[in-house]
Amino acid sequence: MSKEIIHEPIEDFGLSKRTKSTSLFSRVGIVGCGLIGQNLARVASYYGLDVVFVEVSEEKIDEAFSGIIQMLDHRIEHWGLTESEKRAMLSRIEGTTDIAKLAGCDIVVEAIRPVNRGMKIKERKEIFRQIEEVVDRNCIIATNSATVVITELSSELQYKDRCVSIHFFVSSPEARIIEVVKGLYTSDESYTKVCKFVTQINRAMVPVDESAGLISVRIFVVLLNEACEILMEGVASLEDVDMTMKIGFGMRLGPFEVADKMGLDKIVRWMENIYGEFGDVRYKPSPMIKKLVRARHTGVAVGQGFYAYDEKGQKILSAKRSC
Amino acid sequence: MKILVLNCGSSSIKYQLFNMADRKVVSKGGIEKLGMKGSFLKHTREDGQVVIFEGEIIDHKAGIEYILGVLTSVKHGCLKNLEEIDAVGHRVVHGGEKFKSSVFIDEEVKAELERNIALAPLHNPPNLKGITAIEELIPEVPQVSVFDTAFHQTMEPFAYMYGIPNILYKKYGIRRYGFHGTSHRYVSERVCEILNRDIKTQKIITCHLGNGASIAAVKNGKSMDTSMGFTPIEGLIMGTRSGDLDIGAVTFIMDKEELGLRSLNALFNKHSGMLGLTGISSDMREIEKARESGNEKAALALDMYNYRVKKYIGAYAAAMGGLDILVFTGGIGENADTTRQGSAEGLEYMGVELDVEKNRAVHGTEAEISLDSSRVKVMVVPTNEELMIALDTEQIVLERSITGR
Repeated sequence: MSKEIIHEPIEDFGLSKRTKSTSLFSRVGIVGCGLIGQNLARVASYYGLDVVFVEVSEEKIDEAFSGIIQMLDHRIEHWGLTESEKRAMLSRIEGTTDIAKLAGCDIVVEAIRPVNRGMKIKERKEIFRQIEEVVDRNCIIATNSATVVITELSSELQYKDRCVSIHFFVSSPEARIIEVVKGLYTSDESYTKVCKFVTQINRAMVPVDESAGLISVRIFVVLLNEACEILMEGVASLEDVDMTMKIGFGMRLGPFEVADKMGLDKIVRWMENIYGEFGDVRYKPSPMIKKLVRARHTGVAVGQGFYAYDEKGQKILSAKRSC
Repeated sequence: MKILVLNCGSSSIKYQLFNMADRKVVSKGGIEKLGMKGSFLKHTREDGQVVIFEGEIIDHKAGIEYILGVLTSVKHGCLKNLEEIDAVGHRVVHGGEKFKSSVFIDEEVKAELERNIALAPLHNPPNLKGITAIEELIPEVPQVSVFDTAFHQTMEPFAYMYGIPNILYKKYGIRRYGFHGTSHRYVSERVCEILNRDIKTQKIITCHLGNGASIAAVKNGKSMDTSMGFTPIEGLIMGTRSGDLDIGAVTFIMDKEELGLRSLNALFNKHSGMLGLTGISSDMREIEKARESGNEKAALALDMYNYRVKKYIGAYAAAMGGLDILVFTGGIGENADTTRQGSAEGLEYMGVELDVEKNRAVHGTEAEISLDSSRVKVMVVPTNEELMIALDTEQIVLERSITGR
């Protein structure tokens, strides 16, 4: 029994001879590791995939790691994860400033946080181009944007058929659902591959036609605009609007709470994009949101949005009402 | 007759090929990380040589295809062709109330298994995938399903019903099913063979102590009660499962820790038991070591473990109106002499007299560990669920060929 173990490639032993298959995803690339990137890194590593994320500086890499660690610790504290699972997950995640490290990835997801609005599309196109330079021909290139249209993003790539848009939910990362958009150029093969990836990270997939705002963002921005109207007209208070939607409609978070969590600056960009696409005023950012963004009250991340937050991101409750 | 025994989990497939003439395993192995990165097949050849086949194994069908491919390969196999496989026996976790013994798999059985997915959402789907894969790859070969729950279907309603509104039993089938049935059946039958006794006259308590653990009261060859319930959480303290727990504490914890269903499940299935108690490990050997070096938490956890086993032994002796044989099996039951001693000592009043010396020497072999004067025989019997599955499969396939059905 002390004989040495023999190693063999399994493909030689199928009943029908197969070629070496590589349809399973094993390495995920992420460009831009903000909240979305961190969530994707966490989820993908949980399901056994290797993750490499690209950030602009060492400082940003540390920031992303501490964000991921914080998420994992939070889950451990709430009994959703064990210490050994956390160690295994972190060992699968690598941070880098070198985009060339994306080589060998089966899918690369672009999830940058754009700084100035006008640059957005240009910036993303440039990133797509850079990604294409370093990855294999059959690597899927995806954007996480819900409003930037994938056909436009991929238009200047050499192989446009491999681009899709996948939209994760920021407000509740545990929502096990992903909207997947097939662009004009996207091949069926690429689309099927993405479906496999989504299944591998245990998420449900909602196929959506290419349309700014998809399902989630488009409905949400209208809801938020209307909630702001109610607030501005003095119909009801902030808390009461949220409470009504939560209790009345069984939402986990009210519209203002969701908006604060996502970041109002991001929402304004969404709204402007969708408004620019459809031209309908109901998508136009409410003056109230714009005012908050101008004051840099952009939500949980800065401690102030519609609500005020403490340093742990917990909502500071206003004084109890009389009734 | 050659029988392939398959145990399909969500990300693993274990297999053993039996030659029924001498009941010996010809070769065996398993696939791990199925459908994940780094999947591989580890195969032990007839000559004991271990071979690891590396590469992508995308799903159960691909996995089983590779297993069949390896078994029939010239280089590492032991079969000339697939026709040499006479039958396939599957371990299926949940048979619900419908299956009281192993069954030949036909369309009706598959439909019922499909319905049972609600009862075992994690385990039954991969079992079914294994069955379908065999059907597609070697359609002529008869398949038999052997259930983890079937042996306990002899329990009386007074033993399996819970004290909750009856409508919940009617609506969802909430009742005690019990698990490890194949193991409890194997060791209770085997122990009677060893001691040359008629199982139909014996009162036996079988302790299956592994990473998951359960105890069964086997009276006259039938399971009368068992410690696992609707799910495998109930009963003994296990590696990472809590075992019996006050439901009031559960709702209290849910409220205080603001837990959802998923976290609650993880808390009682993954973070509890010996791991949660000690904070060291779910592995008994490591906990034993910690106790030896003076770790108080480890000492307490081990005492709790043994005490819980002992409580069930007492309860089941009372339920059966006596005890003739006490059996230990499973990884811990077969190897951990301190656990056996801790849970069986102090039971002299009911005729259990452990031979401390003999007990200390037994690890993983069939042996008697009680004193000659002991009225109750205390035995260690390593479990062999795969053999039991192979035997059931052989019997059912032979019966069918005789009756021509």
